[in-house]
Amino acid sequence: MRLTSVLSVPFAMVGRRTLDIATEMGGMTLMAGAILRRLFPPRVDGAELMRNLYNVGVKSFPIILVTGVFVGAIMVIQAGLYVEKYEATGFIGWGAGFATLREVSPIMIALMFNGRVGAKNTAEIGTMKVTEQVDALRTLAIDPVSYLIMPRFIAMVVMMTLLVVVGDATALIGGAFTSQFLLGVDVQLFFRSFVDLIHLEDFLLGVYKAITFGIAVGVVSCHFGITVTGGAVGVGRAVNDSVVASAIWIFVLNYVVTTLII
Amino acid sequence: MSAASKQVTHVEVPRDGVRIRCQGVSKYYRRTAVLDAVDLEVRDGTMLGLIGPGAAGKSLLVKIICGLVAPDEGHVFIDDIDVTRLRERELQALRMRLGMVFQNYALFDFMNVGENIALPLRMEGRSSETSIRNRVAEVLEQVALPGIQDKMPRELSGGMKKRVSFVRAVVRRPPIVIYDDPTGGLDPVTSAKIFRLLSDMKAQGTTSITISHDLDGIRPLCDQWLLIEHGKTLFSGDTSAIDQCETPYVRQFWRGEPA
Ligand SMILES: Nc1ncnc2c1ncn2[C@@H]1O[C@H](COP(=O)(O)OP(=O)(O)O)[C@@H](O)[C@H]1O
Ligand SMILES: [Mg+2]
Repeated sequence: MRLTSVLSVPFAMVGRRTLDIATEMGGMTLMAGAILRRLFPPRVDGAELMRNLYNVGVKSFPIILVTGVFVGAIMVIQAGLYVEKYEATGFIGWGAGFATLREVSPIMIALMFNGRVGAKNTAEIGTMKVTEQVDALRTLAIDPVSYLIMPRFIAMVVMMTLLVVVGDATALIGGAFTSQFLLGVDVQLFFRSFVDLIHLEDFLLGVYKAITFGIAVGVVSCHFGITVTGGAVGVGRAVNDSVVASAIWIFVLNYVVTTLII
Repeated sequence: MSAASKQVTHVEVPRDGVRIRCQGVSKYYRRTAVLDAVDLEVRDGTMLGLIGPGAAGKSLLVKIICGLVAPDEGHVFIDDIDVTRLRERELQALRMRLGMVFQNYALFDFMNVGENIALPLRMEGRSSETSIRNRVAEVLEQVALPGIQDKMPRELSGGMKKRVSFVRAVVRRPPIVIYDDPTGGLDPVTSAKIFRLLSDMKAQGTTSITISHDLDGIRPLCDQWLLIEHGKTLFSGDTSAIDQCETPYVRQFWRGEPA
C-alpha cells in the first residue's frame, strides 16, 4: 500500500462512521415523522396498546423499585458527608430530594428503562423484521407503524413517565430510611425539610424529562428494530446500537430540557 | 383521494384476463443482478409454477409482486394497476386482494393460532367477534387442524405452521394468492394435503403463483411455468411447451435428471 493510501485510512473510517451516523439520524427522523402522522388523529390498535402498557409497565416495575431505593439511599449517603460536617440535618430531605427529583431519578430510571424495555423492544421488532412477520403484516394490508410501533411508542412514553414518578417516591422512601438508620435523622424531619423546601417545579422538571426520555427511547428503539437486516446477528447489533443511541439521547435531552426550563 | 387509490379499491379483472404481469423486473444487490429483466403473466383463474434452484430469486420476485420490495427496473401490474408506482397507503388497499404464504411461515409469534388467523378479519373491521371466531374454527377444520386456536406458533410442527400460514393468507378469500414453497421440508402425506388445498383454491377460481421444488406435486396444478436461475429466465411457457423444451438445463430440471 502506498503511504498516501495508508494515511487516508483513518479519514475513510471517520467518513464512513459519519455517514452511518447521518443515516441513522435520518432514519430516526423518519420514524419520528411516521409516529407523529399517526398521532393526529390517533391510529392505534386498542388491544395492542393494552397489551404493551401491561408488558412495559408491569414487567419493569420491580427493577424500578430497586433502582429508586438505591438512588435515594446513595443521595442521602453523599449528602450526609456535608450534613454531618455542618450539622445541617434540617436540610437533608431537601438536599437529597432536590437532586433526586430533578436529575438523578429521571436519568437513572430512564437508563434502566432503556436497558430493559428499549432493548427488548428493538429485539422484538427486529426479530419480527428478520422472520418476515413485518412483511406478513404488510401483505395482510396492515400498516406496521400503526399496528406494531404506535402501541409500543405510546406505552413507552406513558410508562416511562409513570415509572419516574414511582421511582421518585421509592427514592424518597429509601432516602428517608437511610437517613434514619445511617445518620440518625428522624424520618419526620427528613420529610419536613422536603415538603418545606422542594417546589412543585422540581418534581415537574423530572416529569418533563421523563416524557422526553420516553419519546427518545420509543423512537430510537423502534427505528433500530424496524431497520434490522442480516438475521439474528443483525438483531444483536441493532439492540446494541439502540441502547447506546438512546443513552446518548437521554444525556443530550437531559441537558437541553434542564437549560430550557431553568 | 388520488385516481390510483380510487382504482385500487375497485376490483375489476382486466379485459385481457391478465391479473399479474411483470415487465422487465430487475433487482440488484451490490451491482450484481439477482433478478434480470423477468417477464411473466398470470391469467385469471390459472396457476403459474415458479421454479428454479435455490437462490434463483424466486422469493424475491414474489415479494416484488406484492410490493414488499421495490424493483430497480421494470413494472409489476396487479389487475392493470402498476404496483411500483403506488404509495404505501394505496398498496395497502391493493393488498386486500392478495394473499401470501411465506416460505418461513412468518406467523406472529406473540399471538396464538386463533389470533393469527383472526387478525386480518379483525383489522378489516367488517365482521363481529362471533362470526370471526366461527370463521377461524371453520378454516382450521378445512385444513384438518380443528381446535388448535389456543396453541402458540412455537408449539406447532412445520407442517402445522405451513397450514396455519396458508389459512391466515386465504381467510379473507383474496382472489390472488402467492404460495412460497408451501410444502418445503414437509413429509409426503402432509405435502399431499397441502397440494389438495391448493387444488381446491384453484377450483374456486383463485389466481395464483406457486413456488415449489416438488415438481411432481405441482405439475398437475400449474398451467404456466417460469424457470429462473440466477435471476435469469431460462423458460417461460405452458406445460406442453416445457415438456418438449430441448434446452439441456430445462430438461434436466423439469425431469429431475442428473447433469
Ligand atoms: N435483502 C437482500 N439483500 C441482499 N441480497 C438479497 C436480498 N434478498 C435476496 N437477496 C439475494 O437474492 C438472491 C435470491 O434470493 P431468493 O429470492 O431468496 O432465492 P430463492 O427464493 O429462489 O431461493 C439470493 O442470492 C439472495 O442472497
Ligand atoms: Mg425462496
